Formats: sequence, C-alpha cells, structure tokens
Amino acid sequence: MPKSVIPIGPYHPLQEEPEFFTLTVDGETVVDIDVQVGYNHRGIEKLSERRTFDQSTFVIERICGICSTSHPFAYTRAVEDIIPVEVPERAKYIRTIIAEGERIHSHLLWLGLAGHFLGYNTLYMWVWKLREEILDVMEILSGNRNNYAMFKPGGVRRDIKSEDIPLVIKKIDSIVPTLDRLKKAILDDPVLHARLKGIGILTREDAIDYGALGPTSRASGVAKDVRKDAPYGAYDKVEWDMIVTETGDVFEKVIVRVLEVYESIKIMKTCLLNLPEGEIDLNIKDIPPGEGIGSAEAPRGETFHYVRSDGTNRPARHKVRAPTFMNLPTFKVTVIGETISDATIILAAIDPCYCCTERMAVRNTKGKKIYHGQDLIRLSQEKTEHIKRKMGIK
Amino acid sequence: MKLPKIRELLEAIKALIVGPYTSKFPYKPHIPHPNFRGQPIYNPDKCVGCLACEEVCPSEAIGHEDITDDSEPRRLMIHYTDTCIFCGSCEAACIADNEGIKQSNDWELSFFDRKEAQETIEKELQLCEICGEVIACKDHLKWISEKIGELAYSSPSLYFSRLKSLGIIDENIISAVRDSGRSDRVKILCARCRRETTLTTR
Repeated sequence: MPKSVIPIGPYHPLQEEPEFFTLTVDGETVVDIDVQVGYNHRGIEKLSERRTFDQSTFVIERICGICSTSHPFAYTRAVEDIIPVEVPERAKYIRTIIAEGERIHSHLLWLGLAGHFLGYNTLYMWVWKLREEILDVMEILSGNRNNYAMFKPGGVRRDIKSEDIPLVIKKIDSIVPTLDRLKKAILDDPVLHARLKGIGILTREDAIDYGALGPTSRASGVAKDVRKDAPYGAYDKVEWDMIVTETGDVFEKVIVRVLEVYESIKIMKTCLLNLPEGEIDLNIKDIPPGEGIGSAEAPRGETFHYVRSDGTNRPARHKVRAPTFMNLPTFKVTVIGETISDATIILAAIDPCYCCTERMAVRNTKGKKIYHGQDLIRLSQEKTEHIKRKMGIK
Repeated sequence: MKLPKIRELLEAIKALIVGPYTSKFPYKPHIPHPNFRGQPIYNPDKCVGCLACEEVCPSEAIGHEDITDDSEPRRLMIHYTDTCIFCGSCEAACIADNEGIKQSNDWELSFFDRKEAQETIEKELQLCEICGEVIACKDHLKWISEKIGELAYSSPSLYFSRLKSLGIIDENIISAVRDSGRSDRVKILCARCRRETTLTTR
C-alpha cells in the first residue's frame, strides 16, 4: 500500500520552536515518525565555560525561558557538589519557593497550550490569565516575571522580604478557586474525555524502557521524582504527595499536571509560612578542582548538570541534560497507530522543550565543503594577508 | 453535560461585569510592583568609577572609555541598555554601598536608534604626574583613603589626592621637599612610577 510522508517544520508558524517531524502516514494513521532537532543550537555549554561560575548562572538561566529556575538549580547544586557545601537553610527554602512557582506557571502554560491545540481557546485564555497571577507573585518575590536571577553557587542573591509574604499568600490563595473551577471544567467535559482518553498511551514498561521523566513517566505509573527520590532544597521538610496515575494516555498527563499545581501551591505556601531565619548566602570565593553533579526536578522532569572545575574561576566543562531529551523518543511508541489529528496533542503532551534539549547540532555535510587542518591554516594565513593589506603593509 | 456549562456560563457572566483582564496599556501607564528590577541607573554622586560593575557583568553590558587627551581627563561609564539583562550583578558588586548603580523601576526601554541605547556618566580621572597613565577616578582614590583611614598616609598618591580634593595642601611644604631633591616623592603617581621613584637607585 502506498504511504505518504507529511513533513512538519522545521520552521512552522504553529510551532513555538524549530523542530522537524516527518510523519509517515497510511491513510489517516501514522505508521512512522521521525523527529529531527538541532535547529536551535546556541552553544550554551561553551558560553558557560567562558564565564565565571557566578556569571554562568545567568547564561544557564537563559537555556529555557520556562525552566529558568530548574537549570540554575541543577547547576548551582553541581557547583556546590564540587566543594562540597550545604547551603544555608533559608536559602534552601527560598530556592524551593521559586522552583515551585516556576512549576505552577509552567504547568499552567502547558495547560493553556494544550487547550489551544484542541480548539479550546477559552481554556487557553482562561488559564493564561490565571498564570498572570503567578507571574505577579514571582515579580514580587524575585523582581522579575521570568528569569528570576535568584540563584548563585552557595545560596540565593536576594532575600524574600517578610512584609511581602502576606500579599504573596493572598495572591496564591486567590488562584485556588479558579483552579478548582478549571479542574472541574476539564474533568466534567465529555468532549475532552472522548478526545483525550485512550490516545497516545505510554505504557509503564515503555516509560521505563525509554527512561521517561517527570509528568510523562508519572502519568504512566512510574513513581519517579527527584524531589522525593533524592530530596534537595526544602522538599524533605514539607509535606506533599507525588501524583502518579496509571494508564499513561494524554488525559492522565493533563490530570497529573493539574494536580501537581495544587501540590506546588501547597509546598510554596508551607515554605513561605515556615521560612527560617538566617543567612542566605555562603559567599563562596574559590571553587577547588573537581567534578560535581546536580539534578533538579524541572516541570518536565529531571534536569541534570555536570560541572568540572580545574581550580580556576571558570568551569572547565559543563554538560546539560534536559528532560525533553529523554521524553522525546517516547513519540515512537505513543504516536504510531494514532491518527494525524491526534498527533499534535500527543506530541505536545510530553511538554517538549527543544531549546532545553539542543546542546549539539550534527549536520550532513554532503555537497558542502569540509575544512581540514590544512585548510584552516590556509584560512588563517589569508586573514593575516587581508589585515596586512588593510593596514597598508606589504 | 449541563452542570459544567452552567458553571462556565457563570464565569462568562462574571467576566462581562468585571470587564477585560488586560490593561489599556499605552493609554494607561503600567506601574510595576516596587520589587520589580528594571533598568540599572548610575548615580553620578555615589559612583566612584571603580569598574567593579564592568568586571562582574555577565552580558558585557557595561563598558568604559577613558578620555585623557584634553585638559579634563575623565572616564565615561557606559551602560548599554540593549544588552543589559537586568540581573542586578552590578548593583550587588558596587563598592559604593550598592548605590553607585541601582536597578530602577523603569521598564519602558524602547528606542528607535540603537546608538541611543546607552547611558553615560562622567567621572574625573586622576592621571600620573610623570607618565600620564590613568591611576583611578578621583572619587575612587578618595573612597580608598576614607576606607583605609590613617593608613592612607603611607601612600603619597592617596593623601595628596585627598588633600588636593579638600583644598588644604600646603605648597610651602611641597616646595621644601621638592628642593631637597626628592621632588617625585610629592607627586601623585601611578604604581609603576611610584615603584621607580622609591625602589630604583637611579
């Protein structure tokens, strides 16, 4: 039977980020999928190696606009692992508050986008309006709606003022009734049930085989969460539940994210109310030679950073592994067998973040010139000649 | 099926009464929360021109230019507002009690010409009296001598610049020392020239 190939991307007005999907379809059914990423390479790791440990935090923060806390969180933990040191208690709490605020706004952002993909534009606008409240909270706490610049190796940059806490708590509380209505609207809607239940199923076995992370794995019944498995920050000091569901279809992924917002609100409020007194920064001066690893539970799953120091004030090597890198291959099992119209929401259900993932780009150099060592030397010599000509030196 | 629709209908009616959530921005100014970290702005009275902010800036948004060829040597501290990422590192590193450069509440930064995207302040420079090399900003030398107190009297550059800025320098004493053949001792010198006058046998 003849099969057709539908290419989507790499630059497509409907996509937020450049990625390239090749869907092989038989009639309406997807029989194969191929994903190509690497259109968004920015050389972040190399950039980070050229900045000092303190300055790198800001580069790392800009890996992703949504995970602008998870990456610095993992990075600072990796740097603290080199020394090794424990950050002060108050700094831990502040870090946890910021990280949970980020999780709330990220999940809400995804929920809105999912609504948009399904044609529920009211949901989209409604959720994003709700998200504004959380962004306001983040502005009060950190001074910015996004890219909070709160993290530094050894602590946090800014303290949370005690006079801001009542207003923040009030704002967080104010989103709960709307969120309740939103949850009911999603759970009661028969169309959403018909549309999302039973599609894009990622079974428990597949989730383990592919090493899926975050809400993607938790929706499939794999109870995997860095915050519980290897507690960091203040996560072991507050009461909260890990949301795990069984079937692993798109509907469950929605449920996991909506319920996680409640847990995040709970963690955030507990931390704000029980903020311990004390120092917020260790003022680390020197980083000794060594290696360190750090991980943090980003809204999409575990973010992992590896930093090697050679005793100077700059990282000698910095490696970033974003959660989408692990979640992306699950497309192979979730999309195949579904219809093209369901493919979008299945692809969106893992909450892919390509700018987090793209560390390296490999290009097919067929038909293009490849530079060898000799060519580079020749280029270098030509440049010298050029400069000489410009300066008028023969 | 009906219940959810009624619930959402209530939400819709509420939205009708409350009105749009979005603000009428260009017509109504948006005032951010006081905690908001906007554009960093130099305070010419507090800034000492030490370049600590330039050193720590992760996006290289702060630069300086030393103008030494005319009668008034001065240092231009330049903040490029287009490359600034509002991280607040400059404020945190500022030696003048974090007040030389401070993040304001200003967030409306649009401009038509990219050349406009910079803010500049001028600081008076102190040049070496022998070689003309830049030593530091006058305010910086003042800051150092205030910081180290009486220890400043161990460095002629420091206390001469201090006394000159206060206008209480006694030219008679200076000429007396100058006449005794060690005139370089009573000048404001850069570190290299000071080393040469003090340590060399010349």
